[in-house]
Amino acid sequence: MSDPLVIPPTTEPDVATPAADAPHAERMGLRARWQAWTHAVFTLREDRFFLLLAVFIGIFSGLVVVCFRLAIEWTQITLLGPSLSPSFPRVVLAPMIAGFAVALLAIHVFPRVRGSGVNQVKSAMYISNGYVSFTNVIGKFFACALAIGSGQSLGPEDPSLLMGAGIASLIGRSLRLSQEKLRLIAPVGAAAGLAAAFNAPISAVLFVIEEVIGTWSAGVLGAIVLAAVSSVVTMRAFLGADSLFRVPLFRLAGPGEVLAYVALGVAGGAASLVLLKWIVWARPKMQQLPLWAEYLQPAAAGLLIGLIGIRFPQVMGAGYAIVDQAMHGQFGWQLLLLLAGLKLLATGISFLSGTPGGMFAPVIFIGAMLGGAVGSIEHHFFPALTATIGTFALVGIGTLFAGFLRTPITSVFMVIELSGNYTAILPVIISTMIAYGISRAYQKVPLFDLLARQDGIVLPSIEERREMTSFVVEDAMRTGGVLVSEPGDHIVEVAKRAEAHPEAALLLRMRPGEWWLLDRDDVLRLAPDAARTTTPIHAKSKGPVPYLFRDQSLAEALQVMGDWPVLPVASRADLGKLEGILTLADTLHAFRKTPKED
Amino acid sequence: MSETNPSTGSDESPRVLSRELVMLLCLLALVVMLALTALLSRLYHKKIHTLADAMFAQGEMDEQAGQVNFALADYRNALAYNPTNPLFQFHLAKALSAANRGEEARSYLLNMLSESPGSGEVNLELARIAARVNSMADAMRYYQGAIYGEWSSDPMARRWAARRELCETLLNRGEVKQAAPEVIALQENTPTGDLARLRIVAQLLLRTQQWTRALELYRTLLAADRNDQESVAGAAQAAFQLGQYNTAMEYFDQLPHDRREQADLANPFVLTGRILAMDPFLSGLSAEVRSQRATNALTLAQTRAETCARQTGQPLEGAPPQTELQRLYEQEKSLQPDWTPRYLERFPDRLDAAMAYVFAVENAAATACGETQGDDRALWLLGRSRSVVNR
Repeated sequence: MSDPLVIPPTTEPDVATPAADAPHAERMGLRARWQAWTHAVFTLREDRFFLLLAVFIGIFSGLVVVCFRLAIEWTQITLLGPSLSPSFPRVVLAPMIAGFAVALLAIHVFPRVRGSGVNQVKSAMYISNGYVSFTNVIGKFFACALAIGSGQSLGPEDPSLLMGAGIASLIGRSLRLSQEKLRLIAPVGAAAGLAAAFNAPISAVLFVIEEVIGTWSAGVLGAIVLAAVSSVVTMRAFLGADSLFRVPLFRLAGPGEVLAYVALGVAGGAASLVLLKWIVWARPKMQQLPLWAEYLQPAAAGLLIGLIGIRFPQVMGAGYAIVDQAMHGQFGWQLLLLLAGLKLLATGISFLSGTPGGMFAPVIFIGAMLGGAVGSIEHHFFPALTATIGTFALVGIGTLFAGFLRTPITSVFMVIELSGNYTAILPVIISTMIAYGISRAYQKVPLFDLLARQDGIVLPSIEERREMTSFVVEDAMRTGGVLVSEPGDHIVEVAKRAEAHPEAALLLRMRPGEWWLLDRDDVLRLAPDAARTTTPIHAKSKGPVPYLFRDQSLAEALQVMGDWPVLPVASRADLGKLEGILTLADTLHAFRKTPKED
Repeated sequence: MSETNPSTGSDESPRVLSRELVMLLCLLALVVMLALTALLSRLYHKKIHTLADAMFAQGEMDEQAGQVNFALADYRNALAYNPTNPLFQFHLAKALSAANRGEEARSYLLNMLSESPGSGEVNLELARIAARVNSMADAMRYYQGAIYGEWSSDPMARRWAARRELCETLLNRGEVKQAAPEVIALQENTPTGDLARLRIVAQLLLRTQQWTRALELYRTLLAADRNDQESVAGAAQAAFQLGQYNTAMEYFDQLPHDRREQADLANPFVLTGRILAMDPFLSGLSAEVRSQRATNALTLAQTRAETCARQTGQPLEGAPPQTELQRLYEQEKSLQPDWTPRYLERFPDRLDAAMAYVFAVENAAATACGETQGDDRALWLLGRSRSVVNR
């Protein structure tokens, strides 16, 4: 039987292997070369082929994201004009008219274009065997470019994530990958898309693992990293290697200064809650509106944002240039606070109207403004603080990200990756953890799970899964109820002990790491007539019995258990030392116990 | 070999062939996508660079027209399309600095500095901002960065100008001691034939009270152009401060009347005249004139002592003498018989002692009652210059 992981050779039976006949292949010309190459590629083990494919997907996703970003920029220049402060008629009309066009596209041409890209990738992974519609990719591209470019307060990251996943899914389906790989290929593409959009490969990898996959799976980690890196390299080849923001240098003057970020954590947590609660409350109501309202919602949102944009054009679009300005201290605390509030309002309006687009960029914007405002106020009262406004703005980004999207690890690393400054790690950790804690305390269900549930889908909650109690052997094993014999013991002694402990299991330790299970009845049968040389080896026994360690999960233990009534639990330091035994009844009993009882 | 794909259940050979085709198609699609992206990217970059350059040019025009706020908006627009352009960043930072938005400018400049820490231009702008907010430690650091930094054009001249600016910044803040070594370094870095810069250095030497160096430099300048009035004036001031009153007067005499009457020279000129009129030690004087001048000085000193005693409320005749003036008065009473005009004319050593007494009284009175003007000031300056000479 062939190994299912090995893809069989592609060559016809009459074609020799390329290693043996390389000169011959050269003579045979292009066809033979192609066959030799495909042979080399397709005879790779599927997991290696998957890694190669990840690079390919990364390059493809990188190219698509570059085109997507160019499309947004071009739309913005065309619709709003080249200035950062668009003129009056444009600022109101462009988002409104574009909003109506987006609504038509979303209703008639690309019906799945609305909704969170993250959840669509999760749906692909957990529901539709890795299927992401390529039509949806095209729809996201055009609808989001039009929406974001016209000034709707949304960002390009979430659509980029979905585009990457869609491309990966299409390639995977076309190559007829195994079902398992097809499920995993969507997150690989998602990481590539997000990495290219953020120009931050580490953050993208962490986000996909933290939010989409939910576990550190070694099988997919390599592919995700390769896809993310190759997409970023591709993107940088066209758009340059500069990070999203140019963050001024800073250093902490002393450990006491990190306390200044506690207030930022609290403010970030509160702001996250405001946006989350608003979405929780308003989205179901918006979804209940009649169909005709769907035609008008994005246009109305565009009109409202345009009206805000007359006085505060900063809130329009993704707003990266404005974040950059805030990091360079260009706004006073009053304006920073106002921009944070207005952006929150504009983002809520855009998102709730069903306009396709991502929330990452607005969250970055709000976080930066809020961070800058808190920093400015703290500077006012504590002028000795050495951190610049830019530092607070940067930390604010991570803080709101952690509070709103509930991805604390990504948030911390994103800030470091965006700033290129490790000094930020302590303030970011403090601030993000506070915001994350506040957000969790007052909003039990995270954003993406909430959106999925509102859409009638039950996707696995990564946050719940991450924090679910994992039972280990130690929780179920018993330390008594077992008698251990050695090959040199006399059978009579063993039988006496067995009679004294009628419930105990009888284990025979042949040598360290080799355990056998003795048949009690046979031991008792042999004992009365035993010769001086009769040992437990002469009794019926089954083995060698697989053994466990106390830190292994009970799920693993169940897999190992099979038909064995008892499994020995050995010490990792000394395989001959028995630490306890595990039975099926013990295992089930442990699962029945609630954490509270524990 | 007949195998079945575990995932699809299809026969193996067609699937592999299909994969080959799919990979080929994907590669073709990738090539097309690459070409398309490259084309779009090129068109886009061309467009935004054109936009950015136009906005930057508009910003420069606005700045030249004095419309700083418009210039700021234009520079920001330009920077939005070309965020890493150091020229745009630098101009925006300069415009922000000019608009008294130093903190914002500083932020941009620090960012630029992190990318090119040796940039003279960036260091100089940061130094100016730091100096404006009285952060002198930072200002010094950035000025040094500018002086020893890299400059895109004419580095020697730009470094010289940066050091000159540092000197003037320090002097404007009254940091004369800190400025002095910088002025010396500036002098050493000034080409000997560059008279315009030497004049600036000489001025700075005067402001840092390095009179000897200043006089020497002014002499060099006058050797090159003896009619340079500013150099003559500077040399006169330096000579006056050094107590070389004859030399100072020679220079004063070379100046036209209206120049001598200007604020910086009027007082030194008058004092020089008085000192020369009162100095009994001038060469070429007859014994009689010396004696007469010494007698006059004694009278002036006596009057000054009495005035000061009245001002402080401590009479000159105190027993036992407690103040310097009282002690000098006691001394004067015992020596007065020796200081008659006749004795002073006949015994030069008594003239020396009498004048030493005069200078001591002027010094003590200046300490107790503050500096004065007129003849007393002239005597005090004469005494100071004599003590320097004697030392």
